Amino acid sequence: MKSLTLTFRRFFRDDGHYLLLLSPLLIFVVAVAIYPLFFSFRISLFDYRLTDPNQTQTFVGLKNYIRAFSDTVVIDSLKTTLVYVLGTVTLELALGLGLAMLLSAETQIARVLRSFLIMPMAIPPLVVGLVWKALYNADFGVIPFYMKAIGLNVGRGPLAELKLAMPAVILVDLWQWTPLLMVIFLAGLKSLPTEPYEAAVVDGASRWQSFWFITLPLLKPTALVALLLRTMQSFKVFDTIYATTAGGPGSVTTVLNFHIYTVGMTFFDMGYAAALANILLVVIAVLSVIYIMVLERQQL
Amino acid sequence: MRSKTLRMLLSLVLLAAFVAGIVGCAPATTEAPKTEEAKPAEVKPTEAKPAEEKPTEAPPAKPYEGVELTLASMTDQYVAAFRYLIPLFEEETGIKITMDELGYVDLYQKLTADFVGKTAQYDLMTVDIVWSGEYATNGYTLPLDDFMARDKEELQLDDIMPVAWTLGEYEGKHYAYPLAGYANVLNYRKDLLEAAGIKPPKTQEELLEAAKALTKDGQYGIALLGAKGSAVAQDYMAWVQQHGGSILDKDGKVAVNTPENVEILKFFGELFKYAPPGSTDYWWDQRETAFRDGMVAMMEGWSIARAGYENPEISKIVGKVDIEPAPVAEGMEPKYGFGGWGIGINASSDPEKQEAAWVFIKWLTSPEIQKEWIRHDGAPIRRSTLTDPDLNKEYPWFPKLLEAFEKGDGDYRPRIPEYSIIQDALGTYVNAYLVGQETAESALQKAQAQIEANIK
Repeated sequence: MKSLTLTFRRFFRDDGHYLLLLSPLLIFVVAVAIYPLFFSFRISLFDYRLTDPNQTQTFVGLKNYIRAFSDTVVIDSLKTTLVYVLGTVTLELALGLGLAMLLSAETQIARVLRSFLIMPMAIPPLVVGLVWKALYNADFGVIPFYMKAIGLNVGRGPLAELKLAMPAVILVDLWQWTPLLMVIFLAGLKSLPTEPYEAAVVDGASRWQSFWFITLPLLKPTALVALLLRTMQSFKVFDTIYATTAGGPGSVTTVLNFHIYTVGMTFFDMGYAAALANILLVVIAVLSVIYIMVLERQQL
Repeated sequence: MRSKTLRMLLSLVLLAAFVAGIVGCAPATTEAPKTEEAKPAEVKPTEAKPAEEKPTEAPPAKPYEGVELTLASMTDQYVAAFRYLIPLFEEETGIKITMDELGYVDLYQKLTADFVGKTAQYDLMTVDIVWSGEYATNGYTLPLDDFMARDKEELQLDDIMPVAWTLGEYEGKHYAYPLAGYANVLNYRKDLLEAAGIKPPKTQEELLEAAKALTKDGQYGIALLGAKGSAVAQDYMAWVQQHGGSILDKDGKVAVNTPENVEILKFFGELFKYAPPGSTDYWWDQRETAFRDGMVAMMEGWSIARAGYENPEISKIVGKVDIEPAPVAEGMEPKYGFGGWGIGINASSDPEKQEAAWVFIKWLTSPEIQKEWIRHDGAPIRRSTLTDPDLNKEYPWFPKLLEAFEKGDGDYRPRIPEYSIIQDALGTYVNAYLVGQETAESALQKAQAQIEANIK
């Protein structure tokens, strides 16, 4: 019996076996994440159009990338994406934290409200988009109906007015994803230690002070997770835009991912679409690194 | 020691992935596809021959019993006719057809993916008139000319309206068979026009005047398609046609930013002043809702929707509607926008399935079945259907439709391979003009620039 555990131990210490046991995961990661990444990098260096009847692929080097940075549509859509990300992420963080503070108490009402608030998350974004498109419709929609009833001028409707389209789309995102941040912050709040609060009460701190000087700093790791998660998701937004405005009116809600979709799935220009997608990937990666660095420095 | 081996192995795996990524989809040589391209033309006649003999050898009716076909259909009105007719066809021939109903954008994308991958998920597909050039150039759908030559007598080709052949014909060959012909017509509310003392507009200028006069008391003059994308692009192209403009120049090159087209765009924008405020967000279904709801007095649109206005379940304007062929600009020789759908056979499907699919097309477009097709919300392609006395009693607007078909123009939306690129650019920038983001000139200039950047 003793010798058996001994061989077992030796088996695991041995380098080769250790890797053998790791290999299923490695193969999985390579097949699912790394191979497609290399593939997309490869085709981004080619002039590769699916609609080309001869299916020729000519190597063009970095031409697709150069084209991307001289393409005004790309630059504009990058700006639009930034506005969308800033709008959704900051508002959702603030609202999510507020809701979490409001509903962290274990009362009957809080429990019921929490479960109701989580419902939007369970609906596919495409469906959410279609529902809101119907709600926003200037001539038949519910929202303009009540706006008109209180004497507001709805014009062409929220989704078709140049100034209103972006806020209207951000509102849809808020409705759907604020609850996620609420849940994350709730989890963070529940895991906070009680001692600092007790000490603060003894020292005569007000509730606002204990929120500002204890809760917020302690929630920083949670906030980092929430921020990263939502920033990345928000950068990749597609379904909501596709279902509500299709990037319109004009191009005021054409986010980068929607433009990539047009290039890839309408023009079937795969090389250029892959180059654009890689640019999006780099932007997200760089932002993530910056966030992590900033928040780690603050914690020290 | 341990970490060294680990690192080596990891880098090996990464290298393998890299190599696989680089080599994995090596550029196809130009030669191989060329032979493939030639194949359909060469092989099909020989494949067709045995089938040609079949009917004479074995008259028993069900030579393709048990063959299973898939059909991708646009969710236009005629999909109801498919739902009704397919079971009848299955009973008659023993061929089984599964239908997928898809929206316009989804249909185009799913089909393209299916064609490009040669996966033959769909054996039969409804083909929009504007896709014919692209499908032909890329060899996505099977040229039907051999089938048509073989079954000439049965098909009664002369009976099909000449303009209907634009539903799938490209450079002399037929890549889709006419399925549902639509004419661009002006639907108007008899009651509202009479009350205002306005005659149904015959010219574009009268149309604008009428739209102006009919916009009052919460009523709007005309319903238009303004939503970004194919909707606004196609409506604008319809107006270009009605004003005698063109998307292509004399040499067939794309030229959307001509002074004439700018003027037409301004006229189109002028009409939006007399359309419901939400119009710049209208897709086909919202435009229909606006008209059926009684909100607007006039609407230009495809003739296939006409029958629906008499259905009290979906329409509040039963008995109040009449149609005229869509008005053209003053002094222009009348020509009417023609559109609609053909039905094509996937070039990558099995030959046996292609034969069975052809049997379905023949059956569906035969004069007798066409009557049922019409009665279940289909659209006509045959002269005999349009002049049928029974149908004319049920659909009193058929003579006007016949007139629009006679002078139909199926090419006002260029049926060339680059169509989807043109449509996308116009879809973005015409909408941008309507909502005030661009001027008429800059909108068309940017559209032209985007088209040129994307056409190889």
